[in-house]
Formats: sequence, structure tokens, C-alpha cells
Amino acid sequence: MISMDIKPTPTPAGADKQRRPRHDLRSRPRGALRITGIGTIVRFLVVLFLAAIVFLPVYVSYVSAFTPNGEMARSGIVPNPAHVTLANFRAAATAVPLLREYVVSIGVVTLQTVGQLLTGALAAYALVFPRWRGRRIAFGLVLVTLAIPGETIVIPNYELVGSIGLRNTILGVVIPYLAAGYPIFLLRQAFAAVPVEIWEAARLDGAGDIRALFTIIIPTCRPQVTNAVIWSALAAWNGFFWPLLITDTAAARTIQVGISQLAASEAGSPSVIFAGAVLVVVPTMLLVIFAQRFLINGLTRGVLR
Amino acid sequence: MRTTASSRPVVTGRGTGVGPWLAVPGLALLVVFVFRPLVRTLQLSTYASDLIGNPTRFVGLDNYVSLLTDSDFLHTVTISIVIALLGMVLATVGALCAALLLRRRLLGGGIFNLIFSLPFAYSAASASAVFAGLFAPSVGVLNIILGEFGVGGPHWLADPVTAVWSIAIATAWYEFGFAFLVLTAAVRDVPPEVVEAAQMDGAGGFRLAARILVPIMRPSILFLVVTQTITGLQSFAQIQVLTRGGPAGATTTLVYRLYQLAFGNGTPDFGRASVIAIILILIVTAITALQFRLFGREKTA
Repeated sequence: MISMDIKPTPTPAGADKQRRPRHDLRSRPRGALRITGIGTIVRFLVVLFLAAIVFLPVYVSYVSAFTPNGEMARSGIVPNPAHVTLANFRAAATAVPLLREYVVSIGVVTLQTVGQLLTGALAAYALVFPRWRGRRIAFGLVLVTLAIPGETIVIPNYELVGSIGLRNTILGVVIPYLAAGYPIFLLRQAFAAVPVEIWEAARLDGAGDIRALFTIIIPTCRPQVTNAVIWSALAAWNGFFWPLLITDTAAARTIQVGISQLAASEAGSPSVIFAGAVLVVVPTMLLVIFAQRFLINGLTRGVLR
Repeated sequence: MRTTASSRPVVTGRGTGVGPWLAVPGLALLVVFVFRPLVRTLQLSTYASDLIGNPTRFVGLDNYVSLLTDSDFLHTVTISIVIALLGMVLATVGALCAALLLRRRLLGGGIFNLIFSLPFAYSAASASAVFAGLFAPSVGVLNIILGEFGVGGPHWLADPVTAVWSIAIATAWYEFGFAFLVLTAAVRDVPPEVVEAAQMDGAGGFRLAARILVPIMRPSILFLVVTQTITGLQSFAQIQVLTRGGPAGATTTLVYRLYQLAFGNGTPDFGRASVIAIILILIVTAITALQFRLFGREKTA
């Protein structure tokens, strides 16, 4: 039995700012610093080696995507700048309708994220503020869903979504995911950390449940709401198994299904596959580059607590 | 006519109002798309199916017996666990080293931080596509690079052993980004006083990391060990893109076998596919229960 007295999440995003400045390690005498000089060089070399391994697939895919097939075999690891071309991107978009699939994926991300946030915020509110019988059981059910791998329940969902005529539609791709346990859990923990007095004051001012939720509770929990949005959007954008199953025509195929088909159809020309992969990761790459601090401070800690 | 309630103050009691009903949309969707399928999967696993996959008659545990006595299926279970553990260990240990080495300021530290986070931008499918281009036999970039060093790379995906390693490496790379983000957060959360005190005692470098930092970061490491193992056990995109379960079934994982049975080219076999689903749920539940026990012990310790 899963215990239900999980501690409410403190606001993680703001907590970082109050940390003391990190001069602790440089407060040692100067001599000690000089001795660690060799250590620092070794540390740098080990990091460089690790980074080279991790960066290799990214580097190779970007360089190959912008140069003709086989460029690395001819020019070595550093390509000839004169050979830069967009031909691979055109070839990728011709082999698989990547542009259309991009639009489908954006639609899927939008619907799924809005759905999960809406159902999640409403459910989290109901699980925290009003007192009702079965509240703890309801939360227990939400927790149970967190432990069920999504792949294990696709067969019945495939039957159901097919039987209501939603195969090969965007709605069919998103409908099983309009609610998800994790956003409910995340928002429930956030709401539970809000002082009840704030909620009671809003109700005394005459606000109904819906108004209290949207004008008082959600704005108070902005960092965790942002976490939930990013989690839902990433899950929707990265989803692969279900979209693959429920689409057998190009009508509602997502970009993730598209890239897997590109990898199969262009097996002989890696540069074209790489070009497709470069296109697929543009939005998430931007997220990592510009929101890396947020991902470290918010998302990962939100996941942990 | 009776006076309406509008003149009275709004009811603020916690037991009244529409509040509880707001849980309905979310919970109803979970019931329809998670709990109903769960029960149905359990039911399907005990039925034989006709030519289009529909359940025909109750066969009890026949599907379970037929799978669990099939040596190919036992290989599928083993290889799923091997891939999950290899991926988890490579990703977690690699990310732990990276996060620890970047704790103190380092030349180019910002760029290294970014590089180690980059795999997080890749989905399982897009990471697998990248590795498909890397591992391809004659045109694959990995063998071209190895060739520059005078090493003749193997036929990565055609040999059973290197194929498993290839899948594990792709899985580890894809998991590395998240592991690095989690462990970087954990390293930064170590109280500076603790580090200072340890350094006063002369602990530095490796000893500091092994004796002080890693024990403090234990909850995060444990969290990664559990979640990455579970993610690895659900590996599908890597298999679908890189090997399609081959060569000769060497990389057929649980989810890929489920996919083949229920949605592959042959006659759909929802019964045995559902057995795989139930087995996967049992394995994941066991790992989750273990995690709760371990975390529980952590709290009391």
C-alpha cells in the first residue's frame, strides 16, 4: 500500500536564489590552490574526454546534416566549409512529410498539455481544498497510475479508440492522455503547500471554487505549474509508442513516428536521417540551451520531491 | 415565493460547494484510459484470440504457461533486463562523474554543462535515429571515425553481442541528459559547510567525492537507478529504429515482443501480448515497491 502522507513540495525555483555565494572553496590559502593546479588539469582532461563522448552524436549529426552524404569519409571529422548544403533537409522532407508531421506534433502538444493541465489543476484543487469522503482513495488511485507503464495498457485503448472511429486522427492520438497522473500529483503537492488561509480568504470574499483556483491558487504556485506544463509538453512531443500504433496513414502521424520512418527508409544515407533528427529536436534543443538553469532547478527537483 | 440564497453569505465550509466535483474530469479519464485497460489487459491475458485478435474463449493460464516455457521469451526477459541495467549503469555513473567533476569552477564549465545536458533534448525516437546513422555498417559515421584511428569497426547491428551493446549505448546516451540534470541539482544542494568541514580534515578530490558527496547525493542516485531501470525495461523506440528485434531476436525486448505479437505483421495475438503487459507491470511494481522500502529506510536512518 502506498503511503499517502507525501510531504507537500516547497517552492523549488525560488529557493535557489537565497543560496549563499559560492566562495567557500576559494577561501583556502593561496599555496593550496597552486598544489591543486595539476589536479585541475587532470579534472579538465577527464571532463573533456567525457564531453567528447557525449557530444559526438550531436556533433556528427549536425555536421553531417549540413554536408553531402559521406563528407566525413572524405574530409575527416572537420568538414570542408565549402561543402555546406541544405540538400539533406530537402531530401528528408521529401522522403517523409516532415513539415506536416511537425504541424501535427504541435497540435498534439497543445491539446495534450492544455488537457492535462486543466484536468490536473481541477483534480488537484478538489483533492486539496474541499473535504469529501473518498478524497484519500482518489489520491491513492492517482498515485497508482504513476507506477503503471504506459506501454502495458495500449491494447485495450487501441480497441476503444478504434471502435469510436478515432484511429488516424489527432484526437485519437491525444484522447488517452488528456489526463495524466503525474501533473495531478505535481499540482496536488503544490496546492497542498499553499496556506489554507489564502484559500479561505478568497472564499470569504465570495469567490467560487473555479475563481479561487484560477485567480488565487494557480498564480501562487506558478513555478510548479510551469514544471507541470513543461513535463506535459515534453511527454506529448516525445511520445512515440501510442502515436505509432494509432496512426497507419500520414493524416495524424507525429514527428517522432516520422523520424523513425525516415531512419528506415533512408538507411543508406545517414546525412538525410541526421537532417531529420536535427529538425525534430529544434524545440527541445532550444529548451535545453535557454532554460537549462530552470531544468536543473525546477524540473529535476520537482521530479524528486 | 421563497427568498433565494443570494442574500446570505457564501458558504465557505470545506465540505460544501462544487469543489469535489472538479476531480471528476481527471479521474474519469484515468478510469477510462488507465484502470479499465488494466482490467481488460488482465482479462485478455486469460483468453485465446481469433484471427483479428478478438478474445474467443477463456483459457486460464495457458497464455502464461506457453510464454514462460518458451526459451525465446525467457531470452526476451533476460535481454530486457540486461539492456535496462547496462543503460542505467552507463548513464548514471557517467552523469555522476560529470556532475561531480563540474562541482567546482572549471575552464569552459558552462559549455561542458550544456554539452552534458544536450541528450535531454532528444526523444527516444530521435536519439535512435541519430544512432542509426552512427551505427550504419559501411556508411555509418562511427566506423568512419574509427577508421581514422586505424580501427576496423564491427558490423554493429548485425552481430548479436554488439547489437545489444549498441542498443544499450543508445539507451544510455538518451538517458544521460536527464541523469546529469538531476545529479547536478543534487551536487549543488550539498551544503557548503559540509564540504568545508571535510576539506579541513584534509579530504579532497576523489576522497571528498566518495566519502562525503556521494553519500549525501544518495537519494538522487537511488531515484535515478530506479527510474532509469524502469525506463530501460520499457525500451521500444531504440529497438524499432535500430534493429527491429534482430539479429535473430537478439535484441527483442519485452515491449518490442508485445508490439510484435499485438501489432506486428502476423495474426494479432492480444492474449499473449497481454501476458507480457502483465509481466512488465509486475516487474515495474516490484521495483517501485523496492524503491519505497529503500526510501522508507532512508527516512528512518
